[in-house]
Amino acid sequence: MKEKKTVKRHLGLRATNAISNSAIHVLLVIISIIWLIPFVCIVLQSFRLELSGPVGYVIPRQWGLDNYAALLRTDFKQWYINTFIIALVNAALQTVIVLCMSYTLSRFRFKMRGALMRLMMILGLFPGMLTMIILYRVLKDLGLTEANAVPGLILVYVASSGMGYYVSKGFFDTIPKSLDEAARVDGATRMQVLFKIILPLAKPIVIYTVLTAFMAPWGDYVFARYISFENPVGMNVAVGMYKWLTIDQISSNYTMFCAGGVIVAIPVTILFMCLQRYYVEGVTGGAVKG
Amino acid sequence: MKKVLSILLVLAMLFSLAACGGGNSGETPSGVTPSGETPSGEAPSDDKPLAGTYDIKVWVADAITDLTQKQIDDFNNTNTDGIKFNATVQAVGEDVVATQLITDVEAAGDIFIFAQDQFARLIQAGALAQLGEGASQFVKENNIPEAVAAVTLNEGLYGYPVTADNGYFMYYDKSVIPEEDVDSLEKLIEDCEEAGKYFSMELQTSAWYLASFFFATGCVSEWTIDDDGMATALNDTFDSPEGLIAAKGMKKLLDSPAHVSSSQASDFASGSAVLICGTWAYDDVKAILGDNLGATDLPSFEVDGTEYHLGSFNGFKLMGVKPQTDAVRQAALHRLAQYLTGEQCQLERFTERYWGPSNIVAQQAPEVAANAGQIAINLQAPYATPQGQISGAWWNIAKVIADEVKDAADDEGIQAALDNYRDKCNALIGVGGYVFVGAWNGWDNADMTHKLTEEDGVYTITIDVEESDYMGGRIVTATNWDTDHGAAQVTTGAELIDVEAGGGDNNIVFKEAGNYTVTWNADTNVIEIVKN
Amino acid sequence: MKRYSDLEYLQLSKWKKFCYRILCFFLSIPTALKNAFLGIGRFFKNAVLAVGREFKDIAVTFKEGDGKTRLSYLVMGWGCLRRGQILRGLLFLLFEAVFIFYMVVSGGYWLSMLPSLGKVGPGKTYDPILDVYVYQYNDNSFKILLYGVLTIFFIIAFLYTWRLNVKQNKLAEEIIKSGKPLKSGRDDLRSLVDDKFHKTLLALPLTGILVFTVLPIVFMILVAFTNYDGSHDGYINGLFGWQGFENFRTLFSWKGANGHSYAATFGEILTWTLIWAVFATFTNYFLGMFVAMMINKKGVRVKKLWRTILVMTIAIPQFISLLYVSKMFAKNGIVNGVLLDLGWIREAIDFWGSTANNGLLARVLVIVINIWIGIPYLMLIATGILMNIPSDLYESAKIDGASGWKQYTKITLPYMLFITGPYLLTQFTSNMNNFNVIFLLTGGAPTNAAASWASGNVGYTDLLITWLFKITTGEDAKYYLASVVGIMVFAVVALITLVVYNRLPSVKNEEDFQ
Repeated sequence: MKEKKTVKRHLGLRATNAISNSAIHVLLVIISIIWLIPFVCIVLQSFRLELSGPVGYVIPRQWGLDNYAALLRTDFKQWYINTFIIALVNAALQTVIVLCMSYTLSRFRFKMRGALMRLMMILGLFPGMLTMIILYRVLKDLGLTEANAVPGLILVYVASSGMGYYVSKGFFDTIPKSLDEAARVDGATRMQVLFKIILPLAKPIVIYTVLTAFMAPWGDYVFARYISFENPVGMNVAVGMYKWLTIDQISSNYTMFCAGGVIVAIPVTILFMCLQRYYVEGVTGGAVKG
Repeated sequence: MKKVLSILLVLAMLFSLAACGGGNSGETPSGVTPSGETPSGEAPSDDKPLAGTYDIKVWVADAITDLTQKQIDDFNNTNTDGIKFNATVQAVGEDVVATQLITDVEAAGDIFIFAQDQFARLIQAGALAQLGEGASQFVKENNIPEAVAAVTLNEGLYGYPVTADNGYFMYYDKSVIPEEDVDSLEKLIEDCEEAGKYFSMELQTSAWYLASFFFATGCVSEWTIDDDGMATALNDTFDSPEGLIAAKGMKKLLDSPAHVSSSQASDFASGSAVLICGTWAYDDVKAILGDNLGATDLPSFEVDGTEYHLGSFNGFKLMGVKPQTDAVRQAALHRLAQYLTGEQCQLERFTERYWGPSNIVAQQAPEVAANAGQIAINLQAPYATPQGQISGAWWNIAKVIADEVKDAADDEGIQAALDNYRDKCNALIGVGGYVFVGAWNGWDNADMTHKLTEEDGVYTITIDVEESDYMGGRIVTATNWDTDHGAAQVTTGAELIDVEAGGGDNNIVFKEAGNYTVTWNADTNVIEIVKN
Repeated sequence: MKRYSDLEYLQLSKWKKFCYRILCFFLSIPTALKNAFLGIGRFFKNAVLAVGREFKDIAVTFKEGDGKTRLSYLVMGWGCLRRGQILRGLLFLLFEAVFIFYMVVSGGYWLSMLPSLGKVGPGKTYDPILDVYVYQYNDNSFKILLYGVLTIFFIIAFLYTWRLNVKQNKLAEEIIKSGKPLKSGRDDLRSLVDDKFHKTLLALPLTGILVFTVLPIVFMILVAFTNYDGSHDGYINGLFGWQGFENFRTLFSWKGANGHSYAATFGEILTWTLIWAVFATFTNYFLGMFVAMMINKKGVRVKKLWRTILVMTIAIPQFISLLYVSKMFAKNGIVNGVLLDLGWIREAIDFWGSTANNGLLARVLVIVINIWIGIPYLMLIATGILMNIPSDLYESAKIDGASGWKQYTKITLPYMLFITGPYLLTQFTSNMNNFNVIFLLTGGAPTNAAASWASGNVGYTDLLITWLFKITTGEDAKYYLASVVGIMVFAVVALITLVVYNRLPSVKNEEDFQ
C-alpha cells in the first residue's frame, strides 16, 4: 500500500479498499466465532462439576478438574495409548507404502502401469463399508481382534493404504524428471536416485502423508468397533468414548466425554498447527493434480 | 527378473494365506468344532465332574461391572463343585447386546445380560443355550411366573431372569407440575408449554415407549415365535378402532412443541419437566432435581370424552449363556448363571443400583418394597402388560408409527399409518391376504399355511378333509382372527356343511370326508363350496 | 443441436459460449458411455486372444524345448536349477511344494465345498448327565466361501508362476543358444534396486491391497448371490447357499403392500445422495475459495490466526466435534435454548425430527454443517493454489481495467477449476460415500415412513452408504441385500467417474506437468 504506485491512484480507490478490508475483517471475526463455538463449548463443559449429563446452558456453575481426574479411573488411558500407538506406527508404515506406490507410478513407465492405476481407481469406488465384516473375520482368524485389535487395525490401515497414492503422486509429478535422468547418467541406481535426490525434495509431501496418516486413526469408529468387539483392551478413543454417549451412560458420563475430547484434541491440534505449512505445500503440490 | 519378484509377491500372499487358512484347515474340514478351552488345572474327578478353572468373558451393563466381578469371586469361594472362574467382565449395554452379537456370536460374552426385547433376535442368532431340566426347574421355582414366561419359548427355557422392573413410569419436576395435574396428559402438556419446559417421552425412536398409548385402549400385539426365533403368527389389534383412539391420544403429545422424543435422565437438566423412563434413571434424576423429584404412574389421556390410562410394557432383564462351547464348560457356566440370578445377587444389585428383583423371595425384602422407583412402578403395575415374546423386527416396524401419526392431517391419515404398520407386520410373517384357519384337520388355530390364492378379488383354496375331522374352520384376514368369514356366508354348497356342528362359531364344518374347493368373493362376501 | 465450427464459436456471446460448452458436455455423455462399454468389450476380446496365444506358446515351447525344459513342466524350476540359476530354481520349486502341500491339506477341501457352501448344518442334543443341551456346529459356509475364494486366487497365482517357469526355460534356451551368459542370482538381486526397482517398490503395497481390498471385495460381490443374513450366518444358526440373481430381482421387483418397492426406496436414497454430493462438494468448493481469497487479500491482518482457527476443525477428530454439534441442534439443545431466550422463535425447532417436505430441514442442516467441516480443507488447498497463480496475470488485468469480479471469473476461477478438476471429482465421489458426517450428525434421522418397508429403517438424510450400514447392523442383518445395494452404489459411482474423469483437461495432459 505504501508503494509509490498507489499514491498516484485515485483517493476513492483507497477508501473503498479500506472499507472492503474492514468488512472482510468483520466477516472473518464472525466466521471465526462460528467455527470456535463448538470447541469453546466442549472445553467449558469439560470443567463443569455440578451435573455430569448434558445441560441446557453453557457456562458451568461450578468449575473444576474432576472430570479429567475421573478419566484416569476409566480405561481411557488404555484407549489413548492404543490410539497413539496405532497413529504412530500407522504414520510410519503408511508413509513408506504410499511413497513407494506414488513414486513408482509417477516415475516408472512399465507395462501394466495404466491398467494398475485404473484398477486402483475402480477398487476405490467400491463402498468400503461392506468389506468390514469380512476383514473382521480374516483378522479374527489371524488372532488380531479384541485384545489384539491394535496390531489388527494397523495391519488393515497399512495394507489398504496403497490405494491413497493420488496426492503424493501428484506431488512427485511436479518434480522435474530431468533431475532423475541427470543422476542416472552419473551412474546412480534407481534406488539411489530415490533416496539421494527425490526424497529430500519431497519433504512437504512426506510430512503431509505422515500427518494425515497420524490423524486418521483418532476418528475411526465403525471399523475399530468391529475389531475391538467390546473388549476395552483393544479399543481406540473413539470406540471407548462413544460408549459414554449411549443412553444408559450419557447422563453420568457426558462431561467426562468432553474432558476426554479435549485431551484427544490437544496433540493432534498442536501437531497440525506446527506442520500446517507443509500440509499446505503438500496438498497444493499434490491434491490439485490428483 | 520379474519372475523372482512375482514369486516373492506370491509367497508373501501365501504367507498370509497360510496364516489364515492354516489355523482352520485343521479343524473345520473334519467337521465338529467345539470352540471352548478345556478346563485346565486339576483333573475332573467323578464326584465333581465340573471341577476346574475356566477363563470366561461376561457382558453386563457398565453400572454393574464391578459388582458382577465381586459376585463371581463370591461364587468361586462358595461353590462346592470345585469350579473356578477367571472372569473378564466387560461393559456392554443390555440394549445393544443383540446388535453387537449378530456380527459374531462366537466372540460374544460366555454369559451376558440383555433386555427382553432382544430375546427373539438372540434366539435367531443362535446365541442362547437352552436350559437343561434342572436349570429350568431352578428358574421356575425361584422367579415370578411372568419372569419365567419371559424366558420361555415353546416349552423350552432359554435364559435366567435378572430383574422384573424393566418397565417405565413418570418422573416429573414438582416445581413445575402441580400435584393435581399428574393424572392428566393434557394438563401435563399444558403445564410444560406454559412454563417453557419439555415433556420427554421417547415416542419417535422407540416402540417400547410408543406401545404405551396402544395398551391404554386395550390393543394387543401378541406374537408366536418358533424355535429359530422367527415370527410365525400374530394377533395384533393396533389397527383397530381402539388403535385409532390411541394414536389420536399420542398425536396430542406429538404435536405439542413441548414434546421431546428422548428418555435420558439428563433431560431434566436440558429443560424437561416430565420424563417417561424406568427405575435405572432414578439416581441421575435425583441428582438433578433433588427434592423436586416426583415419580408416579403414567397419566391418562382423553379422547371423545373417555379417559384412557396409559399402559406400559412390563419387561425383564435376562441372562443368557452362550451355547458355543463344550458340555462341561457349558454346565459350569449354567451353575454360575444360576448363582448370579439367585436371590442374594439380585438383592445386591438392588442395593447398589436399584435393579428390581424377579426372584420371589427377594421381591419381599422390605428395602425393595420401600423404594420410590419401585413404588412408582408398582403404581403403574395394574396398567402394565407383560412383554411376552415379540418378533425382533417389530420394534423397528412399530416405532415408525409415531412419525407417520405426527405427519397425518386427519383420522384417515392416522388410520393409513396404522394400516401401513399392519401390512408390514403381515409381511414379516410372510402372509398377507386371507387364510383358512381352524383347530381341526391337524391344523393349528394360528397356522397360516392355508393361504387363499387371489384372482380379481376372488379367493380360492382347495383342501382335503379326512373322515375323523369334525370341527370346522373359517376364512380370516391373516393375523387377525376376528375378521371371520364362515358358515353364514356360504351360498352355493350349503348342503355340504353342517351349521349346527359349528356351535355359534360361524365355522364351516364339512359333513363328510373328501376334497373341497372353497371360493370367497371379497366384494360380495359370499362363500361357495364345491366338492371335487 | 447445432454444432458450431471454431469460427462460429468464437463469435458467440459469452453466455452462449458457456451454454454451448455445458450442452456439449452432456451431449458427449452417451458417446462416452458407448466408448466405455466398447472399451470393456475390447478388453475381454483382447484377453481371450491373449490367453489363446499363451496356450500356443506353451505348446510350442514344449515341442521345441530340451529335456530340462520339458521336465520343468512337472517340476517347476528344474530347468533353472540345471542351468545354474539356483536362486530362481529354488524359489520356483519351493512355491510348487507349498502349493501342493496347501491344496492337499486344506485347499482341496475348500474348493470342493464351494459349489454347495456346506452340507451339514448345526444341531443340538441333550446331555442328561450334565443336564445341558450340547450344540454341534458343522460346516461353515462363511469360511468355505472365504477360503474357497482365497484358494482360487492361489490357483491363479500358481498358474501364473507356472507359466513364468515355462517362459523362463524358453528364454534361457534362447540365451544359451546365442552364446551369452545367463543372469546369476546376484544379477537378479541387483536389478531389483535398479531397472526393476518399481517391482520392489510395488511388491508390498500391492500384496496388501490384494489381501485386504481385492479379496474382501470379491467376497462381498459373491455374497450378493447368496442368502447370507442374520438368520443364516453360515455356521451358528444355519448354512447359507447360492441364490443366483434372486436378490437382484428382489431389489428391483419386490413391492410392499402400499406399493412402495425397494427400487423406489433405492431411487429415493440415490437421488438424495446425489443432491447431497453436489451441494456438499460445490458449497465447500466455492465458499472455501471465497474464504481463502478473503484471508489472502492484501491488507488483511493476522492471516495466520484466521487460518489457524479454521483449521482446528480438521485437527479435532470428527467424532468429538460432530457428535457435539449434533447435540447442540437437538430439540432441547443449546441452539434452540439460545433462540428461545432471544425471542427469535416461540417454539423449539425440531431440527433432526421434522419430517415436513421429506425432512428438508434436516437435509439443509447437514449440508450447512458440512460446510463448517469442509471449508478449512478447501481454504488450505485454495490458499496454496492462489499463491501459485502468476501475479503478472492480475497486473495486466488491472491495467486493462478489469474489475475484481472480472478478474475472478477470467483468471482465478478457470485456473482453480483446471487444476482442481480431479480433486473435485474425488471429492464428489467421497461425498457420495461420506459416512461420518451423516452417521455422527443425524444417524439418518428423520425417519422416512414411506420407505420403512425396505430393510434398515431408512431416514431422510440417509445416504446409500449409511443405508448399507443400517442394513447390515439392523434387526435381520441382511448382508446379501447390503451387498446388492453396494454393487449398485459402485455401478453408479463408477459410471459418473468414468464419464467425467476422462474428460478432465488436467488428466488428459498428465505428461504436461512434468
